[in-house]
Amino acid sequence: MNRSIIFAFALLSSLFFIACEKEENASGPNSSLTSNLVKDLVADTIVGLANGQPVGVGKYTFYSLENNAIVPSSDSNSTKWDIAFRGTSILTNAGTSGPGAGGAFVYTGTYDELKTVSPDSVFRKDSAPSSFAIPSGSNKGWYVYDPVNNLITPIPGRVLVIKTAKGNYAKIEIINYYKGGTTPAPSVSDDIKLKTQRFYTFRFAHQANGTASFQ
Amino acid sequence: MVVTATRTPRTMGNLAIPVLLINSKTLYQSGSLRLNDILSEQTALMITDNFGKGIQMQGLSSEYTLVLLDGEPLIGRTGGVLDLSRITIRNIRKVEIIKGPSSSLYGSEAMGGVINIITDGAGQHKTDASIRYGRFGSIDGAINYARKYKKTDIQLASNYNRSEGYSLKPFAVQKTVEPFWKAAHQLNINHLISERWKAGAGLRFNNTHIDNSISVQNLGSTITSKGFEKNQEYNITPFIQYQVDKKIKSVLRGYITGFHASQQLDVKDAYGSYNDKFSQLFARVEQQTDIHPTEQSTLTLGAGLIKEQVSSNRYDSLSTLRNNQIAYLFAQHEYAVNEQLTIIGGVRFDANKAYASVLSPKFSFQYKLNRCLNFNASYGRGFKAPDFRQLYLNFTNLAAGAYSVFGTEVATAEINRMSAAMMLEQTTDMFSKLSVLKPETSGGLNLGVQYLHPQKLQFNLNLFRNDLSNMIVTDVIAFKKNGGQIYSYFNLKRALTQGAEINLSKQFINALNIQAGYQYLYTADKDVVDAIKDGKVFQRNQSNNLVSRMGLNEYGGLPYRSRHSGNIKFYYQHVKGFFATSRLMYRGRWGTMDLDGNGLINRADEFAKGHLQLNCSAGIQIKQQIKLMAGVDNVLNYKDLINLPGNPGRVGYIDLQFNF
Repeated sequence: MNRSIIFAFALLSSLFFIACEKEENASGPNSSLTSNLVKDLVADTIVGLANGQPVGVGKYTFYSLENNAIVPSSDSNSTKWDIAFRGTSILTNAGTSGPGAGGAFVYTGTYDELKTVSPDSVFRKDSAPSSFAIPSGSNKGWYVYDPVNNLITPIPGRVLVIKTAKGNYAKIEIINYYKGGTTPAPSVSDDIKLKTQRFYTFRFAHQANGTASFQ
Repeated sequence: MVVTATRTPRTMGNLAIPVLLINSKTLYQSGSLRLNDILSEQTALMITDNFGKGIQMQGLSSEYTLVLLDGEPLIGRTGGVLDLSRITIRNIRKVEIIKGPSSSLYGSEAMGGVINIITDGAGQHKTDASIRYGRFGSIDGAINYARKYKKTDIQLASNYNRSEGYSLKPFAVQKTVEPFWKAAHQLNINHLISERWKAGAGLRFNNTHIDNSISVQNLGSTITSKGFEKNQEYNITPFIQYQVDKKIKSVLRGYITGFHASQQLDVKDAYGSYNDKFSQLFARVEQQTDIHPTEQSTLTLGAGLIKEQVSSNRYDSLSTLRNNQIAYLFAQHEYAVNEQLTIIGGVRFDANKAYASVLSPKFSFQYKLNRCLNFNASYGRGFKAPDFRQLYLNFTNLAAGAYSVFGTEVATAEINRMSAAMMLEQTTDMFSKLSVLKPETSGGLNLGVQYLHPQKLQFNLNLFRNDLSNMIVTDVIAFKKNGGQIYSYFNLKRALTQGAEINLSKQFINALNIQAGYQYLYTADKDVVDAIKDGKVFQRNQSNNLVSRMGLNEYGGLPYRSRHSGNIKFYYQHVKGFFATSRLMYRGRWGTMDLDGNGLINRADEFAKGHLQLNCSAGIQIKQQIKLMAGVDNVLNYKDLINLPGNPGRVGYIDLQFNF
């Protein structure tokens, strides 16, 4: 790996981590469990081109839903994190991804409608490199990629149902993939589209008492 | 007289299917130069602006419309679109437009309808020349020469058209429309060998040259490249006709056409120059026999062989020729049961080498209540063959996500190759569903009422419905190790288009003609409708980002379709040769792209704005020989950079024509 790229990443990521806002209350009217809004979570932003393709440095950003905080990547092999982001790929802490009791599946419906995790739900575990609890790929999991306009958009009506590393339930709705929570206009240059992507805005609710209810 | 509807000449009042006829006077007085100009002013015809000027008819896009020049199909489509601006109408006598499926007579592509451009016919004696100057350095010059001798007649037509192009964005490196020139030359010769034998041949060359200067921003660096794009097209049409007796006529027609497109760009970066080439050849021999066993019936029988050949570096290498051969038979019987009722039944069978064969029937009825009022009904099947792109494409986009697209005939081999080279992450469920592509098919129903009275209000109403199935869409068959997706083609989608078209026309005191038209159009993807009914479709609110379940009334249908469109047109003609026209066209909002991630048109910001276009012209005849015309297109100066790049705003022109 090129040293200057690593340096650039370190510099950029430190800036973004400072810029990352969180802990805003975004609970909907129908849920009594507190929802948290996370803005501009950096997920391996693009640092350059390799073979004509945009690339980041390939590192995941680990996040604890239990603590609503970023977990340093040095703790990647622990149960301190629940979910990790790199580009459009999302990991949960179980299987090949980590030592936790995690897992996930993608629920079709609205965030507010999902009031309890149904007892017959099947939580998938990551099995790298071929299968992930939250499938990657356009229209397969949480997003759709528009090759004409080169834009990634979260699919409305998709909720990520997560088992945390400790085995508690959480639900996540990804709202936007671009900096500032706004998708660039289709007419904007590819340059800007590449520079502003891989910034997650999402809301989540986490049930700490171990029950399957989000109420 | 209309020939396209039944392949034999019929008057407008004797047609059982919806037909639009545009005559040479309207073509001239509208100041139209290219085929898209005149079609854009017709009720229920939409011009789309993607890969050139395409046509949308009864809600079906350009790839489902067959375009004929003197009865022979034009080839050279890009992304399914046959660019109508390739075709000059300076030597056009009339344009016939048949709506609804006509594959029973014409085979592939005749799903939404058929456009037949009919050039100046035999038997004329004239020489004329015209010159036009318009905004953006646009010049159009044409010469038509026709001679009639005892047994031979000859027509020669030449057209040259150029423009300096224009920029809708000021100071942009890349013009919205780059400078171009187009040239077309056509020669037709007909010869009466004997009383019964007639032979002839046509030859046409059509060239387009467009300058290219492209500027792309990529991660801070600007890549500019200069080059050009050119298309070369030729058509050769020999025929021989034999009139057996009063009841039987037989024609043997040959047709060879070639289309060569190339784009060359010198890209100023490490990738070197870009060179794209596409070559298509279409050769056909066809025999058609018309028999009139009785006064009341006409039997049309035909058979033909087609050979198609494509080579392109978009597919694989230029040296690899991809072939298809088609053998077909068609028969049609028209029978007048009595004075009021006429029944037409027809069927065509196409046996294809490269994909599945297809049978296309059609039935139509006409009932004449009296001299002015008639009703008609028709049902026909249409099909569109998979194109070479869907069969043989082998394309990898390095710039945008490194995705690849493979045609169905090459996909399995490519996947096996990549798998052996350890380049694949996994294949999807869809990979196992790869199969021989079937033609896309449709069933079209048309119900019409026509009221034709020369002095009174003329009126026609047509209700239509087209059910499309086996529509070809892309889906992911595998993922690459680097995350890129691999797509191929499947016969998966089902759609419907339905609506109503109304036209009114009235002639006032022999001088003023007023016409008005309106189309209501509903289109939908049937699987989307089912999913919405099942409550499985969601949308995201633009202002608060909240997600809600989508209702059927919020579904905007297939993209690029306007629910409402219409026009009102005035044509004034003075006896002394002065004329003036004013044509106002309305196109209601149309869906352009999905922005909220559900893949559908639903949100207000996913539509292009509806707009009005006003075109005016006036002209005068000076002496016998000279006609002078001036006009302004898009008087209201409506512009939409993103959705209507082909509309430069207000354009004025003057046009001079000499008849020698």
